Amino acid sequence: MSKKIGDVILDLQNISLRFGGVKALTDISFNVREHEIRAIIGPNGAGKSSMLNVINGVYHPQEGKIMFRGTERKKMEPHMAARQNIARTFQNIALFKGMTVLDNIMTGRITKMKANFIEHALWFGRAKKEELEHRKVVEEVIDFLEIQHIRKTPVNRLPYGLQKRVELARALAAEPTMLLLDEPMAGMNVEEKQDMCRFILDVNDQFGTTIVLIEHDMGVVMDISDRVVVLDYGKKIGDGVPDEVKNNEDVIKAYLGAGH
Amino acid sequence: MLYREAGQFKTTYAADQQIFPIRQDRLGILVLLVIAFLGVPLLASEYWFSAILIPFLIFALAALGLNILTGYAGQLSLGSAAFMAVGAYAAYNFQLRVEGIPILVSFICAGLTAAGVGILFGLPSLRIKGFYLAVATLAAQFFIVWCLTKFPWLSNNSSSGVISTQKLIIFGHELKTPVEKYLLVLSIVVFLALAAKNMVRSATGRAWMAVRDMDVAASVIGIRLMPTKLLAFAVSSFYCGVAGALYAFCYLGSVEPDGFSLDMSFKILFMIIIGGVGSIMGSFLGAAFILLLPIFLDIALPFLAGLFGLPFASETVSHIQILVFGALIMFFLIVEPHGLARLWQIAKEKLRLWPFPH
Amino acid sequence: MNFFFEVLIGGLLSGVMYALVALGFVLIYKASGVFNFAQGAMVYLAALSVVGCVEKGAPLWLAIILAFVIMTLFGIATEKFVLRKLVNQPPITLFMATIGLAFFIEGLAPLVFGSEPRALELGIVDEPIPYILDNWNMVISKFDLVAAGVASVLVAALALFFQYTRIGRALRAVADDHQAALSIGIPLQNIWAIVWGVAGFVALVAGMMWGARNGVQFALTFTALKALPVLILGGFTSVPGAIVGGLIIGASEKLAEIYIPPVMQDMFGGNFGGIEGWFPYVLALLFLLVRPEGLFGERHIDRV
Repeated sequence: MSKKIGDVILDLQNISLRFGGVKALTDISFNVREHEIRAIIGPNGAGKSSMLNVINGVYHPQEGKIMFRGTERKKMEPHMAARQNIARTFQNIALFKGMTVLDNIMTGRITKMKANFIEHALWFGRAKKEELEHRKVVEEVIDFLEIQHIRKTPVNRLPYGLQKRVELARALAAEPTMLLLDEPMAGMNVEEKQDMCRFILDVNDQFGTTIVLIEHDMGVVMDISDRVVVLDYGKKIGDGVPDEVKNNEDVIKAYLGAGH
Repeated sequence: MLYREAGQFKTTYAADQQIFPIRQDRLGILVLLVIAFLGVPLLASEYWFSAILIPFLIFALAALGLNILTGYAGQLSLGSAAFMAVGAYAAYNFQLRVEGIPILVSFICAGLTAAGVGILFGLPSLRIKGFYLAVATLAAQFFIVWCLTKFPWLSNNSSSGVISTQKLIIFGHELKTPVEKYLLVLSIVVFLALAAKNMVRSATGRAWMAVRDMDVAASVIGIRLMPTKLLAFAVSSFYCGVAGALYAFCYLGSVEPDGFSLDMSFKILFMIIIGGVGSIMGSFLGAAFILLLPIFLDIALPFLAGLFGLPFASETVSHIQILVFGALIMFFLIVEPHGLARLWQIAKEKLRLWPFPH
Repeated sequence: MNFFFEVLIGGLLSGVMYALVALGFVLIYKASGVFNFAQGAMVYLAALSVVGCVEKGAPLWLAIILAFVIMTLFGIATEKFVLRKLVNQPPITLFMATIGLAFFIEGLAPLVFGSEPRALELGIVDEPIPYILDNWNMVISKFDLVAAGVASVLVAALALFFQYTRIGRALRAVADDHQAALSIGIPLQNIWAIVWGVAGFVALVAGMMWGARNGVQFALTFTALKALPVLILGGFTSVPGAIVGGLIIGASEKLAEIYIPPVMQDMFGGNFGGIEGWFPYVLALLFLLVRPEGLFGERHIDRV
């Protein structure tokens, strides 16, 4: 793989997050470089999803600093992350169940559409032009992820693996510079996993998208990621390139138990 | 064989994104409009216009308004009738107090006033969801009707808030006959229904549905929840407001605040449940169903009772009506939560294959 | 000042009556997550069953037992034929189904028992307590006091039932997590049937108290509309919340009714009575903006 990993674009410094008395994250620092695939791994309940939620503003950490592209991020709402070109998928598929595949993916481009509701209602001004332009981009995404045959299908009729793919399509439609993937391969069979791996690598390769990924399949993580951060009980216990992490004592202990 | 899109290949995205992409649908709508604008006025009797067609169109418009809010944006409201009341009284006051204002302008202003009030009562939706919100909209229902009864200025000092609407003059021509009123209502309803269809098939509608289906995911994608929900409240109330103005001006001619009761709000809700939540056409089907059912029962029940020689009180009919409404709501929610519109869609899918079984 | 207290106490006592209805909501909501809009209609049905049976010649005690049987059967039927078919539907669909149920009952009950308003004699008179009238010059109704007593007994009994019986424990388990309860072998549907039965019983008590006070008539269904703001205030899941919410709503609406209209009259002219109809809602709404889960409700954290 020949790609150029750039500078740090996201720097998390001493992040701590609590829900009432429960500590979800304790004093976690790590960074993400441009164009890299960064994996977050750890046992169940380690705080991986909370970490993603901190990155895109769903949760607000009580302590710590988040630097994005060199500026400190103040308290932010989730929709602002989208405007900074951060897109994500969810652990439990969060598609819009009442809509078709096409509409779901079109929704991914919503921040880029400027027409207001009156233009839509009367179908004049920017409305028509925009719908067509964005449809074109969306069709490119559909081609890329090979889901042409289901574009008019309501998403709740699709099998699990395809739903995951549609969710990825919706995230990609926003043309993000950073993509957060929460267990994109959970519950998939080997072939579906291979497809998904291919898509992730292609996205990273062709568009240069930075990817932050949570995944349980160690084989996949070690294969595709550039650097890995390991969490356990809300604390960081390892950080580095896959080989480094693989041989880290604490990581082995966390995964295999103290006895080994 | 009649209803099939086979052979209609779309070569441009524009063709694929038309308001009615299937040719038969386009033709069907066209035929329907021709019948509604030309055929019906020639054939229908006065009774049909003033007792069935005009109220049908008006309630379909109100149901459409509620459907935008509940069906598309997922915010349940139990106060639709109150927003109709706002529209009715606003239109009356604009006519009364603004010298020389054209009637259509005052209808638009009525809608805008209702939209404003709708935004006000939609504010709690930013913090609460589901039936908490439904209960909150009851506040709108009771408070608005109370205001209209108690503030004499709103009804030009008439006792208990009754208003009699002004003349309907459009471009110097006074609309007197039911046919003329019907055509006015029809034009407005068709226009607003097409506008609604356009909204729900574009980014506006997608934002509403995204908020309805999963608000957290919607906000992560970049949809701002507050403006999206408030817009739904505003547009929905605008539709209800215009429906209210038409209800006063073109249907009854004289209305009182208590006429816009909680019962009426429920009736509008039933229209969208039975017609189809989240469907423009469903609003029309539901309105027709809910309006025709009592008429049907009025005729059928005494006839049935007579057949079996049972004594029959008129009071009994009204009890049975309520009972049947309730039973139908439960039935539809259990058997076909997407209502008549979904049944129609299934019928179309069957037609597409007909005469082959698969 | 005496007058203020008279209004306040009268309001608190009528708040107890609201709480009686609200209790039925809380029970069903806790156990099955259904917001039962038909609770008011059930109150109507219960009261109508009692007077209906009395009219047919049954003594009062028998009529009450018969009404209890009717309510229980009705609750079980509702669970079996409506709610069981709607399992896994979004809560808002269930809510709309109960609106349908309310209409169904409101049509059915008068068909069976007749719709003309009737009195229900429980042998408690609605007159001022002489002792209080003489000593403090306040009009406090004997009936209201009895109603408050009945409500207290009912709440205590429910609390004991929930806390100490096997069924009560199962109910609480179901309320916490349907799936988990099912997996340890709690028969979910029996539990729901029991809850609807208990809610029917609460509706019966509420129906008798309200019916005895205001007459058995269609307006009894509106008790649900009074109970809704109580629930918002108290939280949908809390029995004490229903009581406290009821007291707050009852007291504040009576005080508002006495003290606000004159002020408005000075400002705008005209008669501004009848704010009781919306005041509780606006109060509850304002309250929601501060604390969306109600006084005693559980805060809900959205997980992504």
